Amino acid sequence: MSDLLTITGARRAFVTPEGRAVPALDGIDLAVHDGEFVTLLGPSGCGKTTLLRAIAGLEAIDAGTIMLEGRDLTRLPAHRRPVNTVFQSYALFPHMTVARNVGYAMEVRGLPRAEREAQVADALAKVGLEGMATRKPSQLSGGQQQRVALARAIVAKPRLLLLDEPLSALDRNLRQAMQIELKDLQHRLGITFVFVTHDQDEALTMSDRIVVMRSGRVVQAGTPREIFRRPATRFVAEFIGETNLLSGTVEGGAAGPILRTSGGLSLRIPPGTPPGARATAVLRPTDFTLGAEGIAGTVTRAVYRGADLHLSVAPEGGGPTLGAIARDNALAPQRGARVTLGYDPAAIHIMEGEG
Amino acid sequence: MRLSLGLFSLLFFAFLYAPLVVIIVYSFNSNPVNMLVWDGFTLDWYKGLFGIGERYLDPNQRVIYLESTPQLIAALKNSLTVAAVTTSFSTVVGTATALAVARSRFRGRGFCGGAMFLPMMMPDIVLGIGLLVFFSTIGMQLSLVTIIIGQCTFLTSYVFIVVQARLAGLDPRLEEASADLGASEWVTFRKVTLPQLAPGILGGGLLAFIISMDDLVITYFISGAGSQTLPIFVFSMVRRGVKPEISAIATLIILASVIVAATGLWLRARGERR
Amino acid sequence: MSPRERARIVVLLAPATLFLGVFFLGPLVIIAVYSLLTPGLYGGVEWTFYHWNFGRIFGWADGIMEVFQPVYLRILLRSLSFGLLTVLVCLTLCYPVAFWIARLPQRWRMLFLFLITLPFFASLIVRLYAWLLILKPSGPLGMAFTALGMEPPELLYSPAAVILGMVYIFIPFMFLPLFAAVDNLDRALVEASADLGATPFQTFRKIIVPQTLPGIAGGSVIVFIPAVGNFIVPDILGGANGLMIGNLVEQQFLSSRNWPFGSALAMVIMGVVLVVLVTFTSRAAKAGAVR
Repeated sequence: MSDLLTITGARRAFVTPEGRAVPALDGIDLAVHDGEFVTLLGPSGCGKTTLLRAIAGLEAIDAGTIMLEGRDLTRLPAHRRPVNTVFQSYALFPHMTVARNVGYAMEVRGLPRAEREAQVADALAKVGLEGMATRKPSQLSGGQQQRVALARAIVAKPRLLLLDEPLSALDRNLRQAMQIELKDLQHRLGITFVFVTHDQDEALTMSDRIVVMRSGRVVQAGTPREIFRRPATRFVAEFIGETNLLSGTVEGGAAGPILRTSGGLSLRIPPGTPPGARATAVLRPTDFTLGAEGIAGTVTRAVYRGADLHLSVAPEGGGPTLGAIARDNALAPQRGARVTLGYDPAAIHIMEGEG
Repeated sequence: MRLSLGLFSLLFFAFLYAPLVVIIVYSFNSNPVNMLVWDGFTLDWYKGLFGIGERYLDPNQRVIYLESTPQLIAALKNSLTVAAVTTSFSTVVGTATALAVARSRFRGRGFCGGAMFLPMMMPDIVLGIGLLVFFSTIGMQLSLVTIIIGQCTFLTSYVFIVVQARLAGLDPRLEEASADLGASEWVTFRKVTLPQLAPGILGGGLLAFIISMDDLVITYFISGAGSQTLPIFVFSMVRRGVKPEISAIATLIILASVIVAATGLWLRARGERR
Repeated sequence: MSPRERARIVVLLAPATLFLGVFFLGPLVIIAVYSLLTPGLYGGVEWTFYHWNFGRIFGWADGIMEVFQPVYLRILLRSLSFGLLTVLVCLTLCYPVAFWIARLPQRWRMLFLFLITLPFFASLIVRLYAWLLILKPSGPLGMAFTALGMEPPELLYSPAAVILGMVYIFIPFMFLPLFAAVDNLDRALVEASADLGATPFQTFRKIIVPQTLPGIAGGSVIVFIPAVGNFIVPDILGGANGLMIGNLVEQQFLSSRNWPFGSALAMVIMGVVLVVLVTFTSRAAKAGAVR
């Protein structure tokens, strides 16, 4: 797969009202392949939206280059970039009908009316909004507005579609439906998507590749599975879903290496980490098998979550409380119950150092 | 783009302020013949206004402004009297109307709100001659009283609009909370609504005062022989021709209005911060 | 509604209703009546119906249909065009500045907004007097021409001087509603337009202007209304060519003493204003309903 978009050394600083320069992009290198669905993920203020706006040309960068298909876009104004954006607030033009909103990109390029109408109808059909063409945006529901914004951005067949938290204003059920739909649409259209979100579930569900950002830098880039199973840092591990992090010193053992935490817990870990080293083990709550041989502890809290229970377990040897999942049935442990948390050492991901 | 906008804005502000600067500079120019040719600094025109200029003791010099000094003082007094009465009246009536319109539900409420805009939108000259014909038809002598009545018609609207805007910005839940805590309607009004509303009432009153002091067109038609106000006095002087003394009066008026306006804005800013 | 609440509303509304009913509606009704009365020979009126006061404004005086004398009509049209020009110049001056101020940091915005409203508080007559000084042949502009060895052009007592004066005094009226609209403009819409390939000019025409239209319309209306009936500015800065309908009204009342004709002229001004206001509010209501 060839690279469609290449960003090298992108830097951008904002000046606060107090006169301090705060880097929003602190040296970003990123390549997006043709046809890929890439998600920029991070907490608010990590620079993901600034990066997206820099690609769109809505924000200038102080240093670095942005190349699209080998063409340098860095100094090109937004309206001359073959890139379209779905805005977080949708930014639908309130004084125009749905059809004129969707046809705007072609209107400003001076395409004849008939051609425009055909393409608008086509785009509206793609997002399931047939029959809405003559309405004003204010007459649509949030979900419908979202689709108009999408239709408007894809109608001109951009090389690259940028989506700035487009689903954040929708309610939970609609959002989940739209996640699937967006992914399908991307497959059908074959357009490359760069998607910004702070919602890790959304990122895991939709992406081919996730780029985790923090403080204007890329912390880790990889497939959703890589990011989830093999986080590069403590930050990534904690940001992507609930997790148990256990830090300690690696010791050699007959059955394989053991991580001994400061709390006095011993954990069998996969081979490969030299004895004596400091290391951090990453265990997802779903990695524990309740009742199997492993870490013994007491349930300090059991939170009902519908299909299952989220347990907080205080290990007997001391150390930090561990999160685990129990099926909700008659055997489900209650608060105060003694449980054992079994685990498969091979499933444990080890980060060198404190993570 | 940004730079050219900034440059344009700079010229815009120069356009706004250059005329005022010209007046102020020339009020200190001692050249009595062509006041636009600088001839050194003088306070004579200011002294002349109050009849204390040495230049005016010489019978061969122009003495016209020495004679008109009492008229100036009288005009100023008239203006202040009118402004004091109209401000009080329009503040009370405008606030009462705003309270009724903003805080009660009754049929014709929207109409009342809209109708209160009319006196403000009516062209001055129409209202001015209308009042003139009205007073002469009912046989009322033109005097300070007619000026006061005439000005109150549109000043009430101004106060209404300012106070209503403030009322609309108030959280009605504060009043509900007060009622919930056991305060009667009157206590709620006095202890919750009124303190919140005070900056609006003050602002509306100040605006009414400034507009009253400056009103020319309506007052022009309904002021009698002995009831000249300051703007009318200056207007008739300007009509008679350019004189350096006018610049001196104008400078004093500018100074006074800047002080009043700045005080008003400061009070408003303080009110908003609270 | 409880009787108590009803009583409260009556007490609160009574003063304004009574006062404005008598002293605002009264005068309007009376000039409406006067405009249809016969002018007396030596001032005053005769209480008989006479509609040629209006005929005279539009060119046919006293029912003589053969003679068309558009003196007054011409002045009416001139007033309308002066009003329109004033609106256009105010708009052109204020629009860019509104954008500039809207993008400033909060503290500076407050300062510049204050600076724009401040001259409004300096007396009207004082501000016009300043232009009298500046436009005089011996004024700074005239002197500049003389210094360059040129004949100073006739600046004062011209239509241009009248429009200049009106622009100067009405700028705050235009600026504030315009600024409110520009400040409310959703920047995401401008960005979306650029993102979809519109040039800056296209974005301006298709997005920015329609989105700030309420402010443009509001500012235009509240500048046009006082401009069209103005008589002070043409009185001080305009010569014979700068005479406006307001001056005609003033003459009828204070020198010619033809009150019915003056009332008819005032009714025409009021008619123009009402047409503008009704058009504006109905359009605004319609736009509000769609949005």
